[in-house]
Amino acid sequence: MTARSVARWCLGLGAALCAPLAAAHHAVAAKFDDAKRTQLTGIVTNVDWRNPHVHVFTNVTRADGTVENWAVELESTVLLKRSGWGADTLRPGDAILVDGPAARDGSRQVWGESVVATATNRQVYNVTDTGPTVPLAPRPTPRGADGKPLLGSSDDAGGYWAYPTSTVMMQAGANVQMNKDGLLARVADAPRVAPFQPWALGLYRHRQERHLADDPGFLNCKNPGAVRQFQTPYGVQFVEDPARDRIFVLIGGGNRNYRIIYSDGREQTGQVQGDDDNPLYYGRAVSHWEGDTLVVRTTGFNEDFWFTNGGLPHTDQLSLVERFSRPDYDTLRYEVTVDDPGAYTAPWSTGWELKWVGGEELPVYFCQDNRS
Amino acid sequence: MKRLMTTAVAMLALGVLLSSGAQEGHPLKGSWLGEWEGNSVHGDNILLILDWDGKAITGMINPGTDNMPLGRASLEPNGWVVRLEAEGKDKDGSAVRYVIEGKLENLELPNRSINGTWSSNKGRGTFTASRQ
Repeated sequence: MTARSVARWCLGLGAALCAPLAAAHHAVAAKFDDAKRTQLTGIVTNVDWRNPHVHVFTNVTRADGTVENWAVELESTVLLKRSGWGADTLRPGDAILVDGPAARDGSRQVWGESVVATATNRQVYNVTDTGPTVPLAPRPTPRGADGKPLLGSSDDAGGYWAYPTSTVMMQAGANVQMNKDGLLARVADAPRVAPFQPWALGLYRHRQERHLADDPGFLNCKNPGAVRQFQTPYGVQFVEDPARDRIFVLIGGGNRNYRIIYSDGREQTGQVQGDDDNPLYYGRAVSHWEGDTLVVRTTGFNEDFWFTNGGLPHTDQLSLVERFSRPDYDTLRYEVTVDDPGAYTAPWSTGWELKWVGGEELPVYFCQDNRS
Repeated sequence: MKRLMTTAVAMLALGVLLSSGAQEGHPLKGSWLGEWEGNSVHGDNILLILDWDGKAITGMINPGTDNMPLGRASLEPNGWVVRLEAEGKDKDGSAVRYVIEGKLENLELPNRSINGTWSSNKGRGTFTASRQ
């Protein structure tokens, strides 16, 4: 192996290791500034139909005759497909009118809040999907042989849970305004979100003031651990394994990993804390039934990730009590109590619901780079 | 060729740095390597091990045979001001009482840093350390 080839290998490895940083998935506000509203008229040169974000490259001719190529950034292929759009909705040569916030860094990128094909005056690539229609008359909760509610599929058709009614966290009764990524409308509201310790409030404010740009889930493809798995737009799938007394929770977003919930009556013993060799993004979860509710106690989280959208801090002292119930066939109720004496002054609770998406597998979505 | 090698090594180092585990919990938790410039008693180099138990910042300066456990330690989120106190001994066995004061910078990065000053009954100087 020559010095040159070693250098090239190192270059390739370095680039590969840098790839997660370049992974372009992000909260919209982390990259685009709503105060920099931009309107563009141009001709499509390419549609890059890839996760985590689709890009429509567009030539824009300025008044002085110069042509600039802009990247119009859109949601993921998964969300766009659910709304009925495809890679060929627009084709090179199509004229479009784009409206949205421009990139904070001044580069020629704009978030495609509105994209209109000018030939037909039709709005395209807008996300309209609100999930499956829930029957007017609730269907009964499916139950297993033991009479307990099934949290997963009750037939071979399969299915998963998605479309959470909330994708953010705040303590019950807080009623603080924030967007779907957990970005506060007013940073001054931060102290109301949770009972923070002073350092945790300072760190939360810092993350908010930076528009969530430091989210390791997006920058480094870290897992949507702890609560966040139930906030992703790509859902979760419960696979119940009664023979081995455990439940697998497959994660639709991020890196297609999974969490195990033990239901064999075991205690929180053994290694209950993650480390470099065994990073526990999902902690160690044990469960029992209280009536029709599965109560899951989880400890042992590492500190390498954000446990919820919005950047609320946590420490390795985090423990969760999650309560899962299925009041009817199409509804999963999720309630969680956060107890982290390392970051909060008291336990606090919140909850939301998810919808059943029957007859489908989890959508394929990987954290990946599409900026190259 | 030299430029290619330099670029390659820089990319590799950057890649390793960026792919290393982040630490998103208490901002001071971790290992910190740095310098307390002009310290004739304990040398210019310093290794700090800091932890957070939910109530107090604990830790050690220069773990080993000449280590100094931290006494009082604080982090003020308003301005991210760090203050660390420790007591060691010089070669003659006399007490050396250290106070490190600095500002936590690049809070969002795994390799965030503390920049400020150190002082003791034996001297004073500038202090810098970055999280490893």
